[in-house]
Amino acid sequence: MPILNRKPRTEPEIPTASMSDISFLLLLFFLVTTTIDIDTGIGLTLPEYIPPEEQKTVEISKERMAALLINENGDVLLDGAVIAIPQIKNNLKPRIESKIELPSNKKLIVSVKTDRKTFYNKYIQTLDQVKLSYFEVRDEYSLAKYGKKYNELNVDDQSVVRDKVPIIISIAEPEKIGT
Amino acid sequence: MKFQKKRAQSKANIPTASMSDIVFILLLFFMVTTTLREQEVFVKYSLPEAKAVEKVENKRLISYLWVGNDKRIQLNDAIVKLEEVQSIMYGKRQLLPNVIVSMRVDKNVDMGMVTDIQQELRKAYCLRINYSASVKI
Repeated sequence: MPILNRKPRTEPEIPTASMSDISFLLLLFFLVTTTIDIDTGIGLTLPEYIPPEEQKTVEISKERMAALLINENGDVLLDGAVIAIPQIKNNLKPRIESKIELPSNKKLIVSVKTDRKTFYNKYIQTLDQVKLSYFEVRDEYSLAKYGKKYNELNVDDQSVVRDKVPIIISIAEPEKIGT
Repeated sequence: MKFQKKRAQSKANIPTASMSDIVFILLLFFMVTTTLREQEVFVKYSLPEAKAVEKVENKRLISYLWVGNDKRIQLNDAIVKLEEVQSIMYGKRQLLPNVIVSMRVDKNVDMGMVTDIQQELRKAYCLRINYSASVKI
């Protein structure tokens, strides 16, 4: 048998230089397309459900209450007087501030009452103003006491501020009239 | 005097073989950590805007409730009737005791609807709610 002239063997190779390019592109695609959507909104805790026959009425002094009423036309009334929505904050802030040093059973209660025909948007705008005024009072209080804003405080200090400025919002059920 | 530069004997190579491994691990990390839990929303809604919004800290606790501009209610992944909200949320609450209900209500819905839903949620003891709102700048 004749011996064939063999060529010297070369190692077979897969070109891997472009591999990193491909994976980089994939990486970029995922980086760009992922939207980490954080849910933002106004948090609220509802009161427990009590059947109507067991409900009790508790008298609250007028001075402790800030009654917000939004009627079906979208007019907002604070303690019976018509008020523009952006002005609610400035109206509530001094009232919250004046009660910082009072014991917890004398703090301000903000009652938000709507009509069944009120638009949800108006309700959120009003609630937003109430929340905003509480947040600003908290921030100012913690700035004066700790030199930091409320969100930058540690957990213990936050609870101190929270005790001083608790957010008490009462969502009154709308009256059944008008349905 | 001779100032001759010494030529480097071999070519300087950066080893790029492991580059793809590194990038692949990064890629895997991102693929694993991104949760694509897209829920199909059957109702049309536009959220109200608000300034005093907070971030909801724990996404796993959230149940979503939509109310569309045609007053249909969608709870998590199905359209439900108002009367069904209580029983569904009661079952949900037994799995997740501190469930937060994120309410995504269209801004032109009237408050009667919202109050009715809230009453149902109160009966189901789902007391933590969140009115979803987009951030007003």
